[in-house]
Amino acid sequence: MLELNNQYTLMKRKIDTEVLKCFFDGTLVEQADKLPLEIIPKTRVPFRCCIYKERAMVRYRIMALAGINIERDDDEEKPLAEYMKEVLSEDKPPLPLLTTIITGCSGCPKSQYRISDGCRGCFARPCMSNCPKDAIVFINGQAHIQEDRCIRCGKCMEVCPFHAVVHIPVPCEEACPVDAVKKNEEGFVEIEHDKCIGCGKCVRSCPFGAIVERSGLFPVAKMLKRGEKVVAMIAPAIEGQFPGSLGQLKAAIKKAGFYDVVEVAEGAEVTSVKEAEELHERISEGANFMTTSCCPSYMELVDIHIPYLKEKRSSTLSPMGYTAEIVREKYPDAKSVFIGPCLAKKVEAAKRYRDKIDGVMTFAELASIFIAKDIDVREMEADDLGDTASFEDCREFAVTSGVAACVMRRFQAEGVNARTLPINGLDKKTVRLMKTWERRAPEAELVEVMACEGGCIAGPGTIVKPALALKLRSQKMAPVKSK
Amino acid sequence: MKKSKVKVRICLGTACFVQGGADLLLFNDFVDPAVLAECEIEGCSCLDECKVGNGSAPYVSINDKIYSGVNQDMFCKLLAEAVKNA
Repeated sequence: MLELNNQYTLMKRKIDTEVLKCFFDGTLVEQADKLPLEIIPKTRVPFRCCIYKERAMVRYRIMALAGINIERDDDEEKPLAEYMKEVLSEDKPPLPLLTTIITGCSGCPKSQYRISDGCRGCFARPCMSNCPKDAIVFINGQAHIQEDRCIRCGKCMEVCPFHAVVHIPVPCEEACPVDAVKKNEEGFVEIEHDKCIGCGKCVRSCPFGAIVERSGLFPVAKMLKRGEKVVAMIAPAIEGQFPGSLGQLKAAIKKAGFYDVVEVAEGAEVTSVKEAEELHERISEGANFMTTSCCPSYMELVDIHIPYLKEKRSSTLSPMGYTAEIVREKYPDAKSVFIGPCLAKKVEAAKRYRDKIDGVMTFAELASIFIAKDIDVREMEADDLGDTASFEDCREFAVTSGVAACVMRRFQAEGVNARTLPINGLDKKTVRLMKTWERRAPEAELVEVMACEGGCIAGPGTIVKPALALKLRSQKMAPVKSK
Repeated sequence: MKKSKVKVRICLGTACFVQGGADLLLFNDFVDPAVLAECEIEGCSCLDECKVGNGSAPYVSINDKIYSGVNQDMFCKLLAEAVKNA
């Protein structure tokens, strides 16, 4: 996967911010078609073939930000202004989550191993001896891979002492844990939406930006602009994503137009308590293991690809689900919006909580709102967070092993023993592993599954690198703990 | 004679922070320790450069001189330069 901060994410944030500025000024329709020209000025040295293609890509990014299904509704003759009018008058359906920009797809050659000039044609020839398919031959004293025999196992790459074997992957195919991203007959990217689990790994892996999420930002921005009573539910991963303290962040979110802010950690406490009870019950009844159910991408994975795990995952709602109930109780007349690091949460909200949750957006999009509205988090006077003592530890839900830790802290051991096992990140390998559990159960009673390696703090909607997020989180947590 | 340390301030305004400024806060991981020893690095409130300047976020101030569009690589070079000239 790509580093979080690269030219592409920076461009994305710039586009988000510029679009939002126009939106809040009320000039979006007039400005829309000028935005690509302003964002990619004539003087820019292009990274793609030319500025015109870059402008076309900005146009598509704006469409994706507005929630348009580019695969289905792309019409090159239609001005952006028309699209914007459409989006302003009605919200687009939230699913499918992802869409592709074929124009951007580079049509990468299929995944392959190649031997570079670095080959010294050595005497030991470990590549040849270790190739299980005898695919390596030597021509003029250099190794060559016979394409028709190669099964792309990568053994030759592992054993070459000169690192002369290179792997050239198709990043999107490689990143997808469930093989839902494939190249079509013309060699361009295609997503099988009914297989997709919404983890967002393909979006982040494509260096050309050819796969995009259909953002849920517009419905929320419209609510804010209309001055509706909207409550923000902030995911536990938000700590460390912005400068300043959580209290200042709460103040900033309210300044952006939200009526109040509720921490999803509050719902996470309910999840922990109920999951601990459920675990106890299941073990006493003789079940061999139970998995967590808070990661929406994992929920999709089970529903679509590993059906036998359906009865193994806890029936407890996710922290977002309980938080939505808390908000409903506290503000029966308000709308609720989940702000998190996650793309799959949009799927969860659309499939399970259509009546309870009115919008889902990411931290990165929240940042764009702040910049567009000129809100500086660090300059805000901190808002009172209220009494957080009971659920403070549940902010750990955002970090791998954190969910299991919170559940175990609330687990009444009495006569039963529970071991935990974290699945830290979904990829092809862990998906295979989880499929084997049907025949041989894992050596743990509570399995915590998180689709993103490192936990939600490494989610696709985050702003800062996980390493820094952890650092900022520990700094902020420090004074709390020393008390 | 003891040289005074190079004063480095990284803008932590929201715009700078989310557009790459946050990366610079990991300076311990990517700046030469010998250079770091000669520097005093701190995060600071918005330098207000984004409102007037023609450059791009993130902004960094080194001995009160403002630099724009600073990435990790540039940060290393600027610091090394500043330490050499101190």
